[in-house]
Amino acid sequence: MSALHPDNETLTRGEGLVLNLYVISALAVVVVMMLFGLIMRMAQGTWINVPPDIFYQLMTAHGAGMVGTVGLASSAVMWFFLRKYVRLHVAMFAANYVLFMLGALAILAAVFIGGYAGGWTFLYPLPVHSMGVWSVNSAALFMVGYLLIGVGFLVFYLDAMLAIIRSYGNLGRGLGLQWLFGGDLDKTHPPAVVASSMVVIVNSLGILGGAIVLVMCLINAYVPSLALNALLVKNLIYFFGHVFINASIYMAVIAVYELLPRFSGRLWTVSRPFLWAWALTTVMVLIVYPHHLLMDYVMPHWMLVMGQIISYTSGLPVFVVTAYGALANVYRSGIRWSVPAQLAMLSMFGWAAGIVPAIIDGTISVNQVMHNTQWVPGHFHFYLLLGVLPMVLALMFHLIDARRPAGGAVLRLGLPLYLLGGLIFVGAFLAAGHVSAPRRYAAHLPQWVPYDQVGSIGAILVIVAVLLFATYIIVGLLGAPGNATAHAAR
Amino acid sequence: MSRARRACSIGAAALLLLGLRMPPVKGALEATMTAQMLLLMPLLFVAGALLRAALPARIVPRSAAWDYRGITGLVLASVASVFWLLPRLLDSAVSQPAVDAARYVSIPLLIGLPFSVSWPRASFIVRGVFLLECVATLFRMGWLYLIWPHRLCNNYLLDDQQRLGQYLVLIGLAACIAIAAKLLWGRFDALAEAPPRASAQH
Ligand code: HEM
Repeated sequence: MSALHPDNETLTRGEGLVLNLYVISALAVVVVMMLFGLIMRMAQGTWINVPPDIFYQLMTAHGAGMVGTVGLASSAVMWFFLRKYVRLHVAMFAANYVLFMLGALAILAAVFIGGYAGGWTFLYPLPVHSMGVWSVNSAALFMVGYLLIGVGFLVFYLDAMLAIIRSYGNLGRGLGLQWLFGGDLDKTHPPAVVASSMVVIVNSLGILGGAIVLVMCLINAYVPSLALNALLVKNLIYFFGHVFINASIYMAVIAVYELLPRFSGRLWTVSRPFLWAWALTTVMVLIVYPHHLLMDYVMPHWMLVMGQIISYTSGLPVFVVTAYGALANVYRSGIRWSVPAQLAMLSMFGWAAGIVPAIIDGTISVNQVMHNTQWVPGHFHFYLLLGVLPMVLALMFHLIDARRPAGGAVLRLGLPLYLLGGLIFVGAFLAAGHVSAPRRYAAHLPQWVPYDQVGSIGAILVIVAVLLFATYIIVGLLGAPGNATAHAAR
Repeated sequence: MSRARRACSIGAAALLLLGLRMPPVKGALEATMTAQMLLLMPLLFVAGALLRAALPARIVPRSAAWDYRGITGLVLASVASVFWLLPRLLDSAVSQPAVDAARYVSIPLLIGLPFSVSWPRASFIVRGVFLLECVATLFRMGWLYLIWPHRLCNNYLLDDQQRLGQYLVLIGLAACIAIAAKLLWGRFDALAEAPPRASAQH
């Protein structure tokens, strides 16, 4: 086995099968959701006519579908690399997949059969006040879908926790807390274990928050006289939602730690600043969510101040050690710029640039003007489309790299198209936000339409690139010999 | 288990159950909703857990066949607990002898006993899911009691109901912190088996 595909990455038949299911399903769903996104953007740009109720159904499916799928695909990145260091059970990985698919079915049925269109954030009391557009049952089905997905992730995280505890003693040692203040730092401690320890802690707490608020909303749906405190519900929803989507980048980034060194020929080792960064982010990810509530003047003042300050600092430590590490790793290394390496570097750019608008919007005085404008989709599409998705794609290309190294069309056409289209697409959102075009509006004023049209063109380029990637990867995965992944030797 | 320990457990369970039936004790523990839910019921649960020692030696290993990883027992305990989370039953248990008797029988036998048999069999993952659901339930019940605008029980007042809500939320928080601390810094000697499969190498 080559250094690019070491022996300890070999997949058994069963593992290869489950991983293929993850990869192919994630790609298929991402393409469909992107098409939903394009339809929305073109509708805003008056190029096509979409009735508002359908627009909001598409928006709900797109939000929930994308967030869920990126979470699922990132968990595949974490699973693939973490299992090299600890003993994970493929059955739990498969259970996550099955529960996810059941949840996704419930969500799709709720949206497209039941007509639920209250947004992926199911903010109370909207799901139960549809003014007759959808029934309480469909809102409830949507929430049940989330519960199923949550249980799936929980099972996967518990398996990862168990494995880390078995090998390292406890999660603190997995995170490397014992080396924060001194001691003989073990430089061979894998960054993948540090990142995974962080993710299982924060996302289990996120899932707990979700489990509480979802069931309370379900109770309220059928016992409406029991009014919930809307602010508390919103706090819990954003705690859970923010932690979940944030955790996706912290799972996906493992691909950068693992893959870049293969091409640069330099090890990525842990250092004390690296461990500090992950430890601090573990705490900050949990308390940063109030930046979603800066408009809620009834929130306790201290929480809003905390939301602003932590917004500045939350993502920064891990981002700095990762971006600095990536640059140091490739600088004058004579790196071979294969597709996974390029995607890993692209993700550093997307992450870096994507958090700038977020930090600006996390400032209370700016937020009062920019919140609920398209500036916000501008920020998160930036870091999800150009940050997280490239990390996930890096793993996918890595899987087929041994058998079908991507070059030619993917390198010369796909990647530039993806980057260019992505920049146009997110740039249009940010620019529209800058002129105060509101987010989540099915119909736009004539002044905003040009932004929507430019955004649509960017989206088309992105979709063409993703179709190219998806075809290449899926053919690579399913192609002979055998249909397990490229290096599934057994 | 030694005979002496067995006799001790059975004796303790019997004493506890008898003690909890004594009018002054029962009266005090039923005087408030908070005491009933946070003292009387947990003590009945403990009595049931102690009864595990009374089971004939052959039964526990035999039951493993239909209690895969403790899942059956924990599901039974969960389903039975759901009934005793209903305020209506808490209320009736004070005023209706039949419900009162059902409580004294079912909490030990359908919750405490199955839990104590199944918990040791449960894997880390089963325990994790069970614990997360328990903590979530503490928060949900606490929240419900805190916001319910009316008295739910004839026997108890609104302030009692809301105090119970506060305590449930606090217990949920404490459980959450304790579990997180255990996972981060605790010892898991029983689990430790495999050293790291590999260190960072690419
Ligand atoms: C070509 C790709 C994409 C297109 C065309 C697209 C388009 C859109 C549009 C038009 C909206 C509604 C904007 C508004 O509020 O006015 C939206 C919202 C959203 N998108 Fe995308 N998107 C794309 C990719 C992604 C990706 C990759 C993700 C996540 C990984 C994502 C996650 C979301 C989320 C979470 C929302 C918020 C929905 C809400 O406000 O409830 N999108 N997208």
